[in-house]
Amino acid sequence: MGVVAEVERKLAQQRCRQEDDGVPELRASTITDVVWAPPRWLPQARRVLAGLAERNPARTIFLVPLPGRGTGVEADAVVYDFEIGDGREVLSEVIELRLRGEAARHPASVVLPLLISDLPAFCRWRGRPDWDGSALQEIVEVCDRLVVDSSEWRGLPAAYGELAGLFEGIVVSDIAWRRTLPWRVALADRWPQIRKVDRLAVEGPRADALLLTGWLRSRLRRDVALTHRSAATISRVRVDGDTVAPPRQRSLSDSGLLSAELDTLTRDPVYEAAVRSTGA
Amino acid sequence: MPAATNPLAQGLGVRRQPDPCALVVFGASGDLTKRKLVPALYALAYRGLLPERFAVVGVARTEQATRQFVSRMRTAVKEFARDPFRTDVFETLAEGMHYVATDFAADAGEDLVGKTLDDVDAKRGTAGNRLHYLAVPPQAFPVVVRKLGERREREGWARVIIEKPFGDDLASARELSAAVRRWFAEDEVFRIDHYLGKETVQNLMALRFANGIFEPIWNRQLVDHVQITVAESIGIEGRAGYYERAGVIRDIFQNHLLQLLALTAMEPPIDFSADAVRNEKVKVLRAMRTPGPASVVRGQYGRGWIEGEPVVAYREEPGVDPRSLTETYLAVKLHIDNWRWADTPFYLRAGKRLARRETTIAIQFKRAPHPPFEEIAGDGLRPNVLLVHVQPDEGVSLAIGAKVPGAGMSIRTVHMDFLYGGAFREGVPEAYERLILDAMLGDATLFTREDEVEEQWKLVDAIVGAWSRDQPTFPDYAAGGWGPAKADDLLHRDGRSWRRH
Ligand SMILES: NC(=O)c1ccc[n+]([C@@H]2O[C@H](COP(=O)([O-])OP(=O)(O)OC[C@H]3O[C@@H](n4cnc5c(N)ncnc54)[C@H](OP(=O)(O)O)[C@@H]3O)[C@@H](O)[C@H]2O)c1
Repeated sequence: MGVVAEVERKLAQQRCRQEDDGVPELRASTITDVVWAPPRWLPQARRVLAGLAERNPARTIFLVPLPGRGTGVEADAVVYDFEIGDGREVLSEVIELRLRGEAARHPASVVLPLLISDLPAFCRWRGRPDWDGSALQEIVEVCDRLVVDSSEWRGLPAAYGELAGLFEGIVVSDIAWRRTLPWRVALADRWPQIRKVDRLAVEGPRADALLLTGWLRSRLRRDVALTHRSAATISRVRVDGDTVAPPRQRSLSDSGLLSAELDTLTRDPVYEAAVRSTGA
Repeated sequence: MPAATNPLAQGLGVRRQPDPCALVVFGASGDLTKRKLVPALYALAYRGLLPERFAVVGVARTEQATRQFVSRMRTAVKEFARDPFRTDVFETLAEGMHYVATDFAADAGEDLVGKTLDDVDAKRGTAGNRLHYLAVPPQAFPVVVRKLGERREREGWARVIIEKPFGDDLASARELSAAVRRWFAEDEVFRIDHYLGKETVQNLMALRFANGIFEPIWNRQLVDHVQITVAESIGIEGRAGYYERAGVIRDIFQNHLLQLLALTAMEPPIDFSADAVRNEKVKVLRAMRTPGPASVVRGQYGRGWIEGEPVVAYREEPGVDPRSLTETYLAVKLHIDNWRWADTPFYLRAGKRLARRETTIAIQFKRAPHPPFEEIAGDGLRPNVLLVHVQPDEGVSLAIGAKVPGAGMSIRTVHMDFLYGGAFREGVPEAYERLILDAMLGDATLFTREDEVEEQWKLVDAIVGAWSRDQPTFPDYAAGGWGPAKADDLLHRDGRSWRRH
């Protein structure tokens, strides 16, 4: 039996176990959620998953690349029952595929057969992609949307140049960008004075700082300089020395941020322009 | 007396029992017998569905004693049957098993099969009833049928099950039909298309005709188009000799795809008798417009990746001509010129080495005329699709627009899947079980009729005829994908696309 049949069988058996009245079971899904998760990202990726189930009933496929260790594909498949309060629960199928050796370079050959037909497929790419690798190319071809978090990357802003190269092939979104939303709202409130901004100072993740600056540059068509100090989340933003009042909106959890990204299906020209203006 | 005419049987809820009979399998040393037929008989025996007075007579040229044959079949049942092995069940079946090593078609008048059957009648009380199963290569069909006809006995009934392919074009199918008709009436002939024995295919009829809500929308007014897919991820599995001659058009399109099309498009039959159902299917085939070359795309797979493993191109498969022009993929746009379906395209496709194994029928409905949510729905809202899964996982899915939980009026397509879990759950009958039992009962509803086969071949001949005039550039799709780019163009030209995967 091939790995795909093995996965389908495991899922069907578990679904049957939950339905012993002979009535065909009902599965609701809105997307296939593919997660490219190298081993060191896997625990974190799994934690995020639990918070996604209600808004985005999905089949989740974790792809765990293990290049250089043996060959072939190993699979686990589990049907999870997520409690979402009020006694309600959501069944969610989670497939974990370990891609060994060459298989790690050809993920499409296992992902494609496992996508739920007719629904959009998102790929949350954990860590920085190998821009020239065949794995990324294949994922771009079979998925509709690539979700990254550029704050997970080193080598910024150069990597934004590589990311921009994907825009014509797939809809890209960035959790770092989503995280800046409350600050963008706050900055937009400073219109029209902000029109003349020369320098933005940001304490926060480098990615967030670069994206905010890129955003101002592209929207205002102006050269805006950036002063950056590292912090885990954006804690302070100054416009030409003037401190911006912190946004009142509470920042979203990791699951909330991803979930918000999954709600949008079309290209975001504002984001794309911001990336292009990060100075990459 | 058969149970159907037994007045006492009425209301007992007991399934009709077939008459006592002998099943004579020609080609008993072959693959089909081992993998499908005997395991199916075992499943029937397991459920007590075989007649009490029953025998299996295996016939082939390979020398072996009945004892050896039985022992091979025991191994086959252990390997291929869907039920656990039970010695008592197998032994009951084995008691009635015989093997005759002979060249049936050229035995110089020495009718070893006839003699064995006489013995069987005497010992097992099979009453001269014979169900002949032709599990031999198609070249042997005419001669075996002739011999059967010549040796047909007066007593009891005689039926013949003919495996696919029934001919390889219209002329050869007609020739074979003529040969069969000379000795057997149409109601004695059972042409196999094992797709018809599948539960979900029968379920399609149940879905359509047992539910008041589907028939009224099953037409050109509400259906935008229909897509039928028979995709396989496997290659040709060492069957180069057969496949090089057949291609996907004869292997899948002529029989399975056209059957699925006919069942999807046919009018409600007046009842579920063999003739009523088949009359309706034939009408669909007759109403089909011959597709022009622009409506047909053929392809052949190159190298690629399947489930994380590299696979060779078709032309590199053992036994295949390195310059072969045999198609391993076919997509066709068809129109059915009748009141129900005029101007509603049916897109059919089949192929080998595609991304996954999947047989589905997708009824795509027209878009809602004026969704008041237009701006917010973006492309998150797709037209409604009713998807019938035939294999591997049986069930029905409906794609509907639903609100995303939370604030706002965000609409998203949600898939509601009713999954029977067929292929992955024990307990669903194999197609061959149903078909063998039906043939014993004389019920031909799930078999293909002569005129149906002819209509199928007419269409195939028209398509193949056009191919002789052009030279395709093969290979044109990578193994593991969804076929050639030209197949996408076929739908894009109409402003549509294949269902996404
Ligand atoms: N296997 C499948 O899954 C499958 C699926 C669909 C349709 N079919 C059809 O089923 C039939 C049998 O297929 P198979 O796969 O079982 O083939 P197979 O393994 O090659 O077996 C063919 C059988 O026919 C006998 N045979 C060969 N040439 C013969 C001849 N000239 N006269 C009489 N008997 C002859 C062979 O036995 P001896 O050489 O011992 O006589 C053998 O028992 C074919 O028509 C095929 O198209 C098979």
